[in-house]
Amino acid sequence: MSLSSKEYFIRETGKSIKRNGIMSFASVSTVAVSLLVLGLFLLMYLNTDNLAKYLEGQVEMTVYLEDTATGEEVAEMREKLKKMEGVVQVTEVTKAMAMERFKNRLGDQATLLKALGKDNPFPERIKALVSQVEHWPKVETAKFGQEVVEHLFALTKVMRIGGAVLIVFLCFATLFIIINTIRLTVFARRREVVIMKYVGATDWFIRWPFLLEGMTLGLGGAIIACTVVDLIYVSLSGRLHTTFAFFPVLPSWPTLLYADIFILACGTLIGALGSYLSRQLPFPEEVPAGLGGAAL
Amino acid sequence: MLEMTDVSKTYPGGNVALRNINVRIEQGEFVFIVGPSGAGKSTFIKLLFREVLPTSGSIRLNDVDILNLTAKEVPYLRRQLGIIFQDYRLLPDRTVYDNVAFAMQVIEAPYRKIKRRVMNVLDLVGLRRRAYSKPNELSGGEQQRIAIARAIVNSPSLVIADEPTGNLDPETSMEIMEIFQEINNTGTTIIMATHDKEIVDSMGKRVIAIEHGEIVRDELNGVYGYESEQ
Repeated sequence: MSLSSKEYFIRETGKSIKRNGIMSFASVSTVAVSLLVLGLFLLMYLNTDNLAKYLEGQVEMTVYLEDTATGEEVAEMREKLKKMEGVVQVTEVTKAMAMERFKNRLGDQATLLKALGKDNPFPERIKALVSQVEHWPKVETAKFGQEVVEHLFALTKVMRIGGAVLIVFLCFATLFIIINTIRLTVFARRREVVIMKYVGATDWFIRWPFLLEGMTLGLGGAIIACTVVDLIYVSLSGRLHTTFAFFPVLPSWPTLLYADIFILACGTLIGALGSYLSRQLPFPEEVPAGLGGAAL
Repeated sequence: MLEMTDVSKTYPGGNVALRNINVRIEQGEFVFIVGPSGAGKSTFIKLLFREVLPTSGSIRLNDVDILNLTAKEVPYLRRQLGIIFQDYRLLPDRTVYDNVAFAMQVIEAPYRKIKRRVMNVLDLVGLRRRAYSKPNELSGGEQQRIAIARAIVNSPSLVIADEPTGNLDPETSMEIMEIFQEINNTGTTIIMATHDKEIVDSMGKRVIAIEHGEIVRDELNGVYGYESEQ
């Protein structure tokens, strides 16, 4: 491709975007809104995933002992638990302490043991621990809060599947918008395209300005989306930190960098793909009747 | 230069546009294609730049069978041709210069060559002084000159014109024909479909008459042979 061709493509892309100003503005806006939703959802998904991982790491096993257990039996059991793989801390809560701490909430159940996974204990591991401990003498029940963990897993699963579906759906919606915009551009420039064909332009020469236009519109929308996503995230994460200090919000850096790269790549790729696909549709071969004439 | 052998064209729906056309046109000839409306002149012209494909027969241009070209090769065939239409087909938002330069830009000619060549061609058609006007600021005859300039700017070996004077008054038409004659004098072949009796009769060129899709007459120094439709 010669230098004058590159200049020509860039000039034509700029002219075309300017010429179809309202349509270009509409498509950049729609792409921006789609990518904004996509970006916000991505960050929400990343944070939920992070929260799930964080809570998974907080899993504790509670072993309830029978009332008849003696002090010696409890001490022995504590030593046994400490030696078990995956247990990092064992906390004994006596009946009196429990009464003190939880007042009437725990009734006559006496001991609370904390079993914390070292880095990120797998639920199976905790389950295995529970199933072992359950069979010890004097143990009435052993629980690891599986309801909470299971609910969390279900939630993250829904987030993962739902997120993937929504992202795919939004990508398709954005793609559809770009295809339509480029089709309109092609329609607006059909005379030019027909003349290009008559004077011997290759298909790729004709295609380049449209491809660049799609990419520019996609990138433009993506830049707007990135800016808004960044502003929203920084503002919201700040508020979350001050309101819910325990909530593990992902830090802006480098989370936003990854999100921005994803949004920009998505916008540009979708723009290019939209242009490419729009050219696969039937194309005007002839100047339609009635569009001829001197000034046209 | 151009050789059509047993060329027939039937459009979908059964409309027979051309039947067993056999014609040979040499480099440097000036040929008028005449005949009543709907006789097949436009189809004949469109076959030459592969706008339509014949149902049967062969078409050779400069010893290349143009029917065997792939879609990717068609643009390179068209670079050897200059095509001119009755409705000029100019780009209204570009200047005269840009309309002509456009034909060189799309074949990726170097910038300096474009500038020099476009100015030379605008000189030839008498529009150098209007180079930076927009087409709609010019008369019909001037607009057709832009179209001619665009058609010849890449120095084609064959210029194909479909009713180039159809929208012009007789005086302007004669001026346009003088330009075509000048182009022909440089050795460029010209094939022109026309309804203009005065032009054909005054030029004294080869005339091929088509009626009902068949060649009914092929004469050197021919005449229009029909009542004027202008």
